[in-house]
Amino acid sequence: MSNTQPAPVASEHVELKARKVSFDWDATPLHWVPGDPFTTHTINVLHLLLPAGERWFVHVYKQALPYITDDRLRADVIGFIGQEAVHSQAHDDVLPHLREQGLDPTPYTAQVDWFFEKLLGDRTLPPGRPRRWWLMERVAMIAAIEHYTAFLGNWVLNADELDRVGADPTMLDLLRWHGAEEVEHRSVAFELFMHLDGGYRRRARTWALAFSALVFLWQRGVRFFMENDPSLLDGKASFGQFVRKGRQGVLPSTPDMLRSIPRYLSRAYHPSQEGDTAQAMAYLASSPGANGGH
Amino acid sequence: MPRFTTVALVAGAALLVRRAVRSRMTTAPLWPLPALDEPVSGYGRGSTVPRKVVVTGRATPAEGVVELRLEGTGLPSWQPGAHVDLVLPSGLVRQYSLCGDPADTASYTVATRLIEAGQGGRGGSREVHDRLREGVEIEIRGPRNRFPLVAAPSYVFVAGGIGITPVLPMLRAAEAAGADWRLVYCGRSRATMPYLDEIEALGGGDRVSVVAEDVSGFPDLGFLAHVPAETLVYCCGPEGLMDAVTAAMPEGRAPRLERFSAAATTGGTAFEVELRRSGRTVQVAADRSVLAAVREELPGITYSCRQGFCGTCRQRVLEGEIDHRDELLTDAERGDSMLICVSRCAGKRLVLDL
Repeated sequence: MSNTQPAPVASEHVELKARKVSFDWDATPLHWVPGDPFTTHTINVLHLLLPAGERWFVHVYKQALPYITDDRLRADVIGFIGQEAVHSQAHDDVLPHLREQGLDPTPYTAQVDWFFEKLLGDRTLPPGRPRRWWLMERVAMIAAIEHYTAFLGNWVLNADELDRVGADPTMLDLLRWHGAEEVEHRSVAFELFMHLDGGYRRRARTWALAFSALVFLWQRGVRFFMENDPSLLDGKASFGQFVRKGRQGVLPSTPDMLRSIPRYLSRAYHPSQEGDTAQAMAYLASSPGANGGH
Repeated sequence: MPRFTTVALVAGAALLVRRAVRSRMTTAPLWPLPALDEPVSGYGRGSTVPRKVVVTGRATPAEGVVELRLEGTGLPSWQPGAHVDLVLPSGLVRQYSLCGDPADTASYTVATRLIEAGQGGRGGSREVHDRLREGVEIEIRGPRNRFPLVAAPSYVFVAGGIGITPVLPMLRAAEAAGADWRLVYCGRSRATMPYLDEIEALGGGDRVSVVAEDVSGFPDLGFLAHVPAETLVYCCGPEGLMDAVTAAMPEGRAPRLERFSAAATTGGTAFEVELRRSGRTVQVAADRSVLAAVREELPGITYSCRQGFCGTCRQRVLEGEIDHRDELLTDAERGDSMLICVSRCAGKRLVLDL
């Protein structure tokens, strides 16, 4: 079916299973990166996008499951679905904590809910080709988004600067547990897309869509948080701040992010070429949240 | 010249659009995306956050029994027969039946009898008695219900000692529903039996038989052989009592039991599952899950964690009584759906919308 079959790095494959987690938010301050609301809120946008977004992944993949003809890939997708379902719940459970601290995310999350459940939801399409086309389009979008979740996961596992500036340990554990599972399952979405469709034009088109949507949603999420943060008088977000914080190492660096674009669009791309499964597994083995809770 | 006009026009239009968007954004910062009418995100189950409660009351309703009032915020309501897991300060996890008011979302009540190590105690009740003083904060999980009170015209309850705790809310509910009920409440002596006054007041004389071992020996369960078919029998107490009640039941009928030993909560009984939409029926053996049995007929069914926390395998239940064993679903969701990877059937037959 596919026109190219880039080789995965075999040693990076592990059996996937969902982990039960527990995070206690009582001691996490509103600005969990001390004195740095911009970085806090830029990362907080994850809690706005992921509950609805990862629920949507699960919803789409449940529909894709019957089309899979490879047993190992099916097992991977089943593990992926469970991990994504737990990610969605874990980020969702941060939102009430934000609300308690005076930053109600509902106006924004209700839009994200609409975005994933209506705009990208199941459309009233005739069965057969149109329905399959829309399913493949969404499977390809998920593969593109997972390129970025793996990129961010890999980044946060190595973001020692966040420890140095004294970021809240529970929030860091949530991000690193999630990041490590994203690194662990980073090949699944791409392999599923290659297995079911694999067309390069669809890959490029859906990348462009997914990337623009991410940039659009992320920047308005940061602006939303900065403007509604009860402890900031005149909160503003700007691209310049993002570049500076990236240089400091508390956010992903802009040049790194730009360099990841051509990698996904390369015909030889396979997610297993980036990131380090052993590092992710080591973190998961020691994560307090994934091993009995805080 | 025409090129200059074009550039000027485009630039002018761009400026106007920019101004319009800016002014729109100042009045409505989240323009132009629509929102979902009933937001979903941010109102989840809280299944990844530990639920904490503070011990705010301690009483001694009987000799060797301590009753704790556990206060928290937004605690889920529950149904009679439900229990919670208490994560004790040492990390031990123990199950205790809730015996307060099911509608109270600000506090839970549990009662524990002290079982010394010499009598087979495993340290949980000792820790509850010694360390759960007023002001201590602990984590709880649940509530869950493996001993649900099913609507029926009449009930027989048999409780032994501290086994009265899940039965007490059942008595109140049965009385409130106007059902015909009777209780056999046994214990070593009246002084060791909690809640006697309340129960005797509820029963009004003839519904409750209190059998204290030191006065009247073991209870006579012979009457159970003649309970009518529509009467449900519930029993909670020591293993010996539950065995005696099971043996005393008429041929082919079983009492509903609440057990807290670790072995009994993992296993189950065999039952039948009908898949209504596919028109098929599968048998679930005592040592297998519904998911495993259903997958033989429907290999494409979705599931993932197989431990009852990810929620992927949730299915709608059309008929039958569910024995919920997951840690995820809310009470409302439990009404008509189940996680087929861990939950089972409390009776003989379930009908799934599959």
